[in-house]
Amino acid sequence: MALLTNVLTQVFITLISVAGVYVLTGLTGMFSLGQAAFMAIGSYASGIFVVKLGMPLVPAIILAVLLAVVVGYLIGYPVVRLRRDYISLVTLGFGEAIAALLTRMTSLTGGASGFTGIPRRTTLAIAAVSAILAVALVAFFKSSKYGRQCIALRGDELAAKAMGINVIRVKMTAFLLSVALTAYSGCLYAFYMTYVDPNGFDWKKSADWVIMVFFGGVNSLTGSTLGAFILSALPQVLRGLQNYRYVIYAVLVLLIINFKPSGLLGEWELTPRNIKRTWNGLRAKLSGKAGKKEGH
Amino acid sequence: MSLQILLNGLATGSIYALIATGFALIFNVLKFSNFSHGATMTAAAFAAYFLVSANGAGLAATLAVAGIAGAAIALFGEFVGFRRITLNHSSSTYFFVSSITLGTLYEGLVTVKVGSNFYNFPRFFTNPTINLGDFVISTSDIMMFTISMVALIILAYVIQKTRLGRALRAVSFDRDTAQLMGIDSTRIIQLTFVISGVLAGIAGVFLGIKYTLYPTLGSLVVKGFIASVIGGLGSLTGAVIGAVLLGVVETILLSVLGSGYSTIATFAIMLVFLLLRPQGIAGSNVQEKA
Amino acid sequence: MALLEVNHIYKSFGGVKAIQDFSIQANAGEIHGIIGPNGAGKTTIFNVISGVYPADQGTVVLDGKDITKMEQYKITRLGLGRTFQNIRLFKGLTVEENVMCAFDPQSKYTVLGGLLPTPKRFAEEKRGRELCRKYLQVVGMQDYLNERPENLSYGMQRRIEIARALMCEPKVLLLDEPAAGLNPTEVGELTELIRRISKEIGFAILLIEHRLELVMSISHIIHVQNFGKTIAVGTPAEVQHNPEVIEAYLGKEE
Repeated sequence: MALLTNVLTQVFITLISVAGVYVLTGLTGMFSLGQAAFMAIGSYASGIFVVKLGMPLVPAIILAVLLAVVVGYLIGYPVVRLRRDYISLVTLGFGEAIAALLTRMTSLTGGASGFTGIPRRTTLAIAAVSAILAVALVAFFKSSKYGRQCIALRGDELAAKAMGINVIRVKMTAFLLSVALTAYSGCLYAFYMTYVDPNGFDWKKSADWVIMVFFGGVNSLTGSTLGAFILSALPQVLRGLQNYRYVIYAVLVLLIINFKPSGLLGEWELTPRNIKRTWNGLRAKLSGKAGKKEGH
Repeated sequence: MSLQILLNGLATGSIYALIATGFALIFNVLKFSNFSHGATMTAAAFAAYFLVSANGAGLAATLAVAGIAGAAIALFGEFVGFRRITLNHSSSTYFFVSSITLGTLYEGLVTVKVGSNFYNFPRFFTNPTINLGDFVISTSDIMMFTISMVALIILAYVIQKTRLGRALRAVSFDRDTAQLMGIDSTRIIQLTFVISGVLAGIAGVFLGIKYTLYPTLGSLVVKGFIASVIGGLGSLTGAVIGAVLLGVVETILLSVLGSGYSTIATFAIMLVFLLLRPQGIAGSNVQEKA
Repeated sequence: MALLEVNHIYKSFGGVKAIQDFSIQANAGEIHGIIGPNGAGKTTIFNVISGVYPADQGTVVLDGKDITKMEQYKITRLGLGRTFQNIRLFKGLTVEENVMCAFDPQSKYTVLGGLLPTPKRFAEEKRGRELCRKYLQVVGMQDYLNERPENLSYGMQRRIEIARALMCEPKVLLLDEPAAGLNPTEVGELTELIRRISKEIGFAILLIEHRLELVMSISHIIHVQNFGKTIAVGTPAEVQHNPEVIEAYLGKEE
């Protein structure tokens, strides 16, 4: 039971970051390989605020998220203006720089040996509620004017500008939203693990999140959520297989790329209308009657 | 700044140049960032270590085997990771995810074999250093610099002067038209991967000599990425210039600031550079057609 | 002062002089046809007016505002709508969402409304949807709200693109070869549609078109371009009898 709680809590924390990556990669078509660095900023900042400055938890988290957003703005400023190919590389460099900084600022961060003594405040319930809220916020975002503009510019920036869309601003909004979510997930992470070190936030982690989004369906928030659930739980479940788990993981993703390129769910979203449609379709199949019409 | 530092920087820069060109070649032809390049370097270097150098072979044999292994790995990657999505004209998302997944796969396989241990290549040179007047230069640095430069000159010759090179440039310019003109673009793409793999193998061995061999050695590929961003994505000349610059600047920063802050300073320089000249040293700013 | 004033613009790409000294004055209610062989620089004129790239020389004034060096999206918001030669609808969005995208930049709710169901968001979305229905009605596509454009016919996609451009509430509308790829019936419907929106909405329309019967029948003024230069300007009747135009189109008689 303790193991299950542990796995679930971590899965929910990951889910928050993946919701952020969905906004960035799924909606807007940008790849960040420095996303985990924002998680690091959230973790370290909230930890330091509470442990070293004695701040209460909630303001510490708010401040940590704000700090990450400010840093995000500085990185985002060039990033949203560059051609897409550059974004992943610039953010990659950023991630490395943050890791180096955290290792170097020993007196504040504990350096390479990590920052310890953070109280455990994150419970399964807090993580679960946070994850649900994060996914809900992103769902609202997707169906808003912002979401539409993100999808529009993802496909065709020039046509988007011709429709009056401020491409740079919309990209920045999406980037900062994803930064805020990731930083928040970092706060929860720090107060769950009670210990953070600079190595846990490298570009592989950012890449993993992109793969999760993709695995479930890059155009579907439901799919991305599902992908995050399956793939973040998988290495924990496969723990018995030790070193082989990443190989299995990679083979699974390669299979999806080659044989189901739109991801598990494609563009399908969990909405009341789609549920009804699917349900009616199922019922029609089961009863063998022509009940398909009422589904539409 | 002493000449010593400059020479060290050039040696480091030449390795970065090998990484950056291998990366830029793929970008040039398929227009995506190949994030499996790092793990290809590691895997090829380990293959060479276990196949020959652990049995006492010299540097030449090690490099040859690493090059062949790199080519084989890259070909495998092209087939399982990129063939289908290239033929489908899939969006960049797929190339991104595919290359990262391949990287995870190679690194995972290396970890299965070696755990998280460190390995050392045997010492390839009897004299670890050479005295050149007042300067003491490490033999391996000189070897790396020389071999890298030779490899890059051969590459430049192949691309500029041979039929293969022309076909490669044609495919990079417009794959579909090249195909219509009778160029087998799948074949050319495979060849590009082979060349990139060979460069990865050589770079992997050099990194192994310089820093010892370990499963995540490939993350040093970041240096190659930064070099090709500075040089202008997809430009081979730019990648080489960017790499040498990066190598020298980094070595200077390292001696002034120490290891942690030099990474940060390097990144800051790249960021400022991109703001001032987003197309890189050699890159042309591509105008989207309306 | 005319609604759109393009004064002596020039644009070169490397050695290619795509536009040399092009001018146009377009008033509300007018339809200007721009014709000429392929490579005459017609689309480049649209790209310069709409701000895809700036003119090398000359000025573009939209409703009294100098937009020569303005960013593309700002020009659109000042009242310029356009369609593209090769239809550029947004993939991954429905017909309704595609058209809504052109309203979204003007939709007045903040990021808070982007994340939460605020009343302001609700009201603005409703206003957008109503406008969207209105313009889809104008082009006759109101029954396809939830379809994906890529599943519809070429002619339908053209009309959706026009509805999307109308959603920008333009003062000047640029139509780049709207009849390309349409069958004769569709061309007839399109001609009717352009004439109707020109009358009802009363903006200035610039129209690039290869189908001379379409351009000649609805344009008030025709500009003939060849190799970047304007070789004739006038009413359809005048232009049709201009010897230089005949030469450019039919070749010189030996």
